[in-house]
Amino acid sequence: MATKLAAPEFPGNPKQPPRNFARNVVSGTLVFGVLGFVGAELAMGGMLAPILANPLTIKLPYYVARTLARMSIAYVLALAFALAYGITAALNHRASHVMLPLLDILQSVPVLAFLPIVFLFFLSRFPGSFGEEISSIILIFTAMVWAPTFGVIAGVNAIPQDIKEASQAYGMGGIQYLRQVVLPAVYPELVWTSILAWGGGWYLIPIEEYFTFGRCLAPPCPPHTLPGIGFYIADAANRSDLASSVFGVMVLVGIIVLIDRLVWRPLERRTDKYKYESVTSPTANAHHESRVVGSFRRAEGRLLTPIVSFLKYERAYLGSFLETAHLRPRLHISDRMRLHDRWAKHTLAGRVASIIIFAFLFFLAINLLSNGALSSVESGITIIQTEVGIPALFYDTGRSLLRILTSYTIALTWTLAAGMLIARSERVSKLLVPIFDIGQSIPATALFPIIILLLVRPNLGNPFALEIASVLLMLTGMQWYILFNIVGAIHNLPADIAEATAAYRIRGLRFAKEILVPASFPAIIIGSIQAWGGGWNATIVSEYISVSGQNGSPTVYQVPGLGSLLNRALSLDPTIGTVIIAATILTMTATIVIINRVVWRRLLKKADKYKFEA
Amino acid sequence: MAVQASEPIIRVDNVTKTFLGETGKTATVLDRITFNVGNEFLCIVGPSGCGKSTLLRIIDGLDTATSGRVLFHDQAITRPSPKIGVIFQTFALIPWKTVLGNVEMALGPTAVPHEEQTSLARKYIQDVGLEGFETSYPKELSGGMKQRVGIARALALQPEVLLMDEPFSSLDALTAENLRREVLDIWRDPAYPTNAVIMVTHNVQEAVYMADRVLVLGGRPAKILDDVPISLPRPRNQRDPGLYDFADRIVSKIS
Repeated sequence: MATKLAAPEFPGNPKQPPRNFARNVVSGTLVFGVLGFVGAELAMGGMLAPILANPLTIKLPYYVARTLARMSIAYVLALAFALAYGITAALNHRASHVMLPLLDILQSVPVLAFLPIVFLFFLSRFPGSFGEEISSIILIFTAMVWAPTFGVIAGVNAIPQDIKEASQAYGMGGIQYLRQVVLPAVYPELVWTSILAWGGGWYLIPIEEYFTFGRCLAPPCPPHTLPGIGFYIADAANRSDLASSVFGVMVLVGIIVLIDRLVWRPLERRTDKYKYESVTSPTANAHHESRVVGSFRRAEGRLLTPIVSFLKYERAYLGSFLETAHLRPRLHISDRMRLHDRWAKHTLAGRVASIIIFAFLFFLAINLLSNGALSSVESGITIIQTEVGIPALFYDTGRSLLRILTSYTIALTWTLAAGMLIARSERVSKLLVPIFDIGQSIPATALFPIIILLLVRPNLGNPFALEIASVLLMLTGMQWYILFNIVGAIHNLPADIAEATAAYRIRGLRFAKEILVPASFPAIIIGSIQAWGGGWNATIVSEYISVSGQNGSPTVYQVPGLGSLLNRALSLDPTIGTVIIAATILTMTATIVIINRVVWRRLLKKADKYKFEA
Repeated sequence: MAVQASEPIIRVDNVTKTFLGETGKTATVLDRITFNVGNEFLCIVGPSGCGKSTLLRIIDGLDTATSGRVLFHDQAITRPSPKIGVIFQTFALIPWKTVLGNVEMALGPTAVPHEEQTSLARKYIQDVGLEGFETSYPKELSGGMKQRVGIARALALQPEVLLMDEPFSSLDALTAENLRREVLDIWRDPAYPTNAVIMVTHNVQEAVYMADRVLVLGGRPAKILDDVPISLPRPRNQRDPGLYDFADRIVSKIS
């Protein structure tokens, strides 16, 4: 029989050059070089002056430090929770019956809906900046915690049976088993989900730092108590200082990219070491580069070998630098979106127990907030009937729903078109994907003040402009989910299927219709579910916009919807307000559950047909 | 079953393939490969990862040679042609298409009139022994049946040349043995227009059993180490001791 030799070790592909810290620093400097260049461009357009004139610009390093501290503390807490909860739930069979379904409930409630409640609660206990800081950290925590927790559970569950048995056979137990087997198994999942967690955290930062949420009910408002980069952006936008706010967004993106480079990329690179099975197919990678190679060779020859190879390396490196799209974490997380499949697998007792625990926590929170004034459910319903009215509640739900549907339609249309372009040509893909990636790395909420400045302010009192702005804000929170799921599906098209369609000359429209759309159908559905979640989240910040005027008194712009109802409730008497907040959250959750059951669940079932076999 | 009698159908002329490495260095995989294929069953054997599959992809026009060229009846191959059928190691069936759909898919871009495509696809599904499974989905089939679909898909094109990339290595030994014999039967059947077959494998025994001629590929970068005509009469027996002499000669070249 033939001797099997190891596969030739190609020095690899340009996507993954060897990395080290020094190189990361070099690339970091490169980013700042680019940012500096853009800065100079701004200056030439006469925009540097307002940035320099902004008294807060000098404080920017301090703001960045404050924001980062907030994020880091929340992340450490989230990590600790994720490890403790995740490992317990995964290893303790009995506890898992309640812990897993409870986790499913908790993570499916829109995070931003908690925002006012948490702020209300902590501000009433600890007024001033301390309370704000605590509540903001807790909120970032709630945005960050779910993905890593699911990641930990998935990691522990992925430990193969033979490894478990082997460690038992070798008498490995307790702490040793945890350190030698569990933690390494959890590592890759933890890194991927942490990237997502930070993304979620960044989304909240601008909101926390400039949205008022009833913190400033009566003008004149006290000076800001939550300094940070998000505040800088919003403050500038409030003063119609477009240059400064754009500059703030650039700094924010710079920080995000830098953290990605210095922290996540190096950590992600090590994940391969801890994986039990390889995900990428080597053939697909090897063939990927071939065409590029040919043109390189022809164009450059061998004359300038040392210089050329250095330049090639740098070019390859720059390419990899731009390709920051974290597809794996994105796809990975898709799995936990199949909530219903898993939910059905939980034991009935566990499901009931977790619902009871959740309800208990919910009503405890409501009771604490309303200072015990809420005596019964009937009195709550009475309050809602007199203060809001049931028809109004339905009307608001409908308006929010319509807005999300509009955003969704726009998002789906353009992302599908982009997906076709990316699939059609490698070159277009190399051009577009990095641009999209930079686009998605900007926390959508950081753009809100700028959108408001450009769209809402000049059209005060025009409800149509407000409606458009609201849909636009929502779009920024929805589109990337769909886009990157589609991009991921295209990348994940099995190499052999891609080969076969090429060999049998399935091209163009036929390829789109018969291969591309069906192949990305499951991803489109998963992306849509995520996008709708993002959309509901965004209702809370996009339907009710409070902008402080020149004299410090806030002006409120709002369109009818569940989000604005929630915000209005904050300015009411706590007893009544809390009831309305609770009613709004419950209505929103019920709507989400109904839509999931009626629409997405059915489509997901259909999507199974379009899955590739593992 | 003519052995090297005819003029070459495919000429592989000085083909070199180079990949770009991580540090800007290049790695040459195939080094000036030259051979002809006539009306014959040609097997290319070599150790895993030596570039056999890359060579096959270049012959089909799925990949381009860094230098050198591949001629199909004196025409340079730059893209896949409907006159060349391909069978894949991993079957490469579309999971959301039925057996019939998968076979018809190959006929879609050809000049075959739309009405005739279905009946043609049905005929080849029958020929590979899958009658009654036309409406089944790939996931409902066993590995051997899946590869039968792959074979029907390639045959439906009525290709002049058939390329096979380790077609039996994903199958269990017994299934592989049966399918090997059936593929040879089909190839020898004059009713099929396909005369030239190029099969890539790392299974020397399989190569010797099936081929008229075995090309031995090896080294880094890979070169043709040997060109072994298998002068055994057909039909052959997979357990014929005569096969071992050829196999020994080939194995000694590789290791």
